[in-house]
Amino acid sequence: MQNDHLTAIWQAVLQDLHATVSKANFITLFQTTVLISFDDGIATVSAPSMMIIDLLQKRFSPAIQASLEKHLGSQVSLLFVPKTPRAQAIHKQGPLFAQEEPAKPLIGHLPRVRPDYTFQNFAVSGSNKLAFVSAQSIVANMGHVYNPFFIYGPVGVGKTHLMHAIANEEYQKAPEKKIIYLTSEEFTNEVVDAIRTNDTARMKKKFRSSQLLMIDDIQFIEGKEKVQEELFHTFNILIDNGAQICLSSDRPPQEIKRLEARLSSRFAGGLTVDIGKPDLELKTAILGIKAQKYNAILPNDVALFLAEQVEDTRSLEGLLLRVITLAATGNEDITLDLAKRAIGQVAKEGREHVHADDVIKSVCDFYRIKSTQLKGPKRDASLVKARQVCMYLLKRDLEMTYADIGNILGGRDHTTVMHGVEKMENLVENKAHVFEDIQGITMLLRG
Amino acid sequence: MKATVNTQDLQKKFSFLQHAVSSRAQLPILLNILLEVSGKTLVLRGTDLEIGIETTVVIHGEEEGGITVPAKPFTELIATIPDETLTLQTQENSLHVVTKRTKSVFQTTPKDEFPRLYLEKGELVATLPVSLFQEDLSCVVFAASTDTTRINLSGVLLKPQERGFLLVATDGYRLSLKRSPVSYGTGKSGEKEAAAMKNQIDTTLLIPARVFREVLSLRGGSGDLSIFVTKEQNQVIFTMGDTLVVGRLIDASFPGYEKILPTDIASTITFDREEMLKAVKMCSIFARDAANIIKFSLRKDKIIVSSQAASLGENTVVVEAKLEGEENEIAFNARYVLDILVNVTKDEVYLEMTGPLNPGVFKIQGDSSFLHLIMPIRVQG
Repeated sequence: MQNDHLTAIWQAVLQDLHATVSKANFITLFQTTVLISFDDGIATVSAPSMMIIDLLQKRFSPAIQASLEKHLGSQVSLLFVPKTPRAQAIHKQGPLFAQEEPAKPLIGHLPRVRPDYTFQNFAVSGSNKLAFVSAQSIVANMGHVYNPFFIYGPVGVGKTHLMHAIANEEYQKAPEKKIIYLTSEEFTNEVVDAIRTNDTARMKKKFRSSQLLMIDDIQFIEGKEKVQEELFHTFNILIDNGAQICLSSDRPPQEIKRLEARLSSRFAGGLTVDIGKPDLELKTAILGIKAQKYNAILPNDVALFLAEQVEDTRSLEGLLLRVITLAATGNEDITLDLAKRAIGQVAKEGREHVHADDVIKSVCDFYRIKSTQLKGPKRDASLVKARQVCMYLLKRDLEMTYADIGNILGGRDHTTVMHGVEKMENLVENKAHVFEDIQGITMLLRG
Repeated sequence: MKATVNTQDLQKKFSFLQHAVSSRAQLPILLNILLEVSGKTLVLRGTDLEIGIETTVVIHGEEEGGITVPAKPFTELIATIPDETLTLQTQENSLHVVTKRTKSVFQTTPKDEFPRLYLEKGELVATLPVSLFQEDLSCVVFAASTDTTRINLSGVLLKPQERGFLLVATDGYRLSLKRSPVSYGTGKSGEKEAAAMKNQIDTTLLIPARVFREVLSLRGGSGDLSIFVTKEQNQVIFTMGDTLVVGRLIDASFPGYEKILPTDIASTITFDREEMLKAVKMCSIFARDAANIIKFSLRKDKIIVSSQAASLGENTVVVEAKLEGEENEIAFNARYVLDILVNVTKDEVYLEMTGPLNPGVFKIQGDSSFLHLIMPIRVQG
């Protein structure tokens, strides 16, 4: 007799018994039983222990037998065997037994460069193909073809990943080369420090001797004249030396305001490529790569579902992590259902009604200031920041009007609020610490 | 039934017997314990259908018979009786507990309703000195999973070997392995039993960790422990003196632990267990809010144990140590490290590792029969 058939018959028997025996008996004694065979009129039923079998035999043999005979339509004699149902969940053995690839020998990595950002784990699709191919050809022809290499695009599309990948690839190829990778803020600091300590020579030497100079988020040198001047000279010398320069930004060179014309023309003098927002397929592929990083098995339908939910890749990773955590805590596999539950949580949290006063309180608590200070006239830098964060949150979460926000924050003009919100929107996208502040306050808000 | 019992003798038995009685049993009969007078003994039994415990008390038996009574109130009552002896007597459907000045009457349930713990003990497969076996067991059992849905990880593997047997337990994040010799010195068991055992543990058994935990809590460490197995009935029985623990064998495949034992060791570092225990305890305070992660930095003459929590701060403890091989870094869940350090008794312990992402192996100096593996945690930087 087929297994499915046995299971079906036993289900029917259990249903009969469920109606007649007490709930306590049913749960304790019957739930773990299985009909394992029926041959020559002998029905073999397994239960986990002799003690359970003893109770079943003493009390329920006639009832079980009668029910079995009804469903099988023949005479039955009953036989109990002690047996635990064989565990099937082999894949739930834990990370110790996961088939891991032998870890790659680490040979150290460049300062500020993440070793896990490589070309190999960069997901390519229509929106970033040009950038990807160009980046690869940069590594293949250092300093010869496209100089400088300028990537721009909105937040979370993979600019930094590509920059790091170039650095890593070059480092693998020629570890002796002098590669400098830094953000424009760090570059600014170096310049300012050098001027302050009257040691510009050392700084100049450092940058001008590099063979690959990479500056991330170059748009932040806007309006900094001395820094721009320093960069201009460094730029010229490096190009003359045949060193490669790579820059990234959130907008094309000509749109960076308050940038000296001679610099912006130089920025645009090499290859300028843009990376667009990822399409659905790309987001799905990125999820696949990220899931691998966390050693999780992500079915395609789930990946597609998650990809539909958000726009940029950073939120994508957050969402994925939430799903993985939920799966791990519940000891479940990742399924569409689980993913929906995870999203459900997010959506629910988001929908919870928040009052403007709550937002103000959370902001004050977070920055440890009083609400009177927040609403007051003082314009200390720390207060201004808190105030702007508050404006931003009121706009984003409560969708209040600029005028209302101004009123609630001590009668400020709506243009002040507009400026504040705009500034924060920009910072949140581009400055990790601001983003973290906002996250922290949001956490406070949700308790 | 009727019997006169020494009160203290009876009281001593209950604490252990209660382990088998679930206070949340759905089935009322399982809230009871069985009392049965047979000859010069009073037999006490309790079960939750997963494990069963049976123990006996010597009595002045006057009338044979048996009865079941609710375990909790009965135990509590016996515990409060000050008199030296008490008399148990059934009258129709009730049980009378009588001393000089007290008389208590319990409603009872007939003994036929109580499940039989076992039909027969089965084959004797081993006899071992309790204290030594408990020592071996105590450094293995804690590594088993308490998650009953991972049935194959909730057991301890008992595997026969050329000379003795192997005890292995894992919950998927850490693994304990102990090699036990066949004959522990010159116990009462002697050569004959040793030989008998060698012949009879011929297949690998997977025994629920819970059964072993009960075996660990058996008191009176000087006696011998006997193991009986009935394969057809899926049953394993441990007996020591007048006490018996019965459980079921697990029918599931144990993960292939052999292939995860690291072979190419890059760093070996020796340290004092007590010192390390203090350090880990200290660091675990800070690790509590950070997924319990503590970091070990292996240096030439020390291990730097550290932890940090973004919201709280950080902590560093230096433990004197001797390193052979490369300097290295590895991070663990503090709980697992505490478990191993608490459960071994020897003082000189060493850690072997191949890399930050490969399992770290804790071993005891001068004792090649034991090892404990912990899966490291991947950390940034």
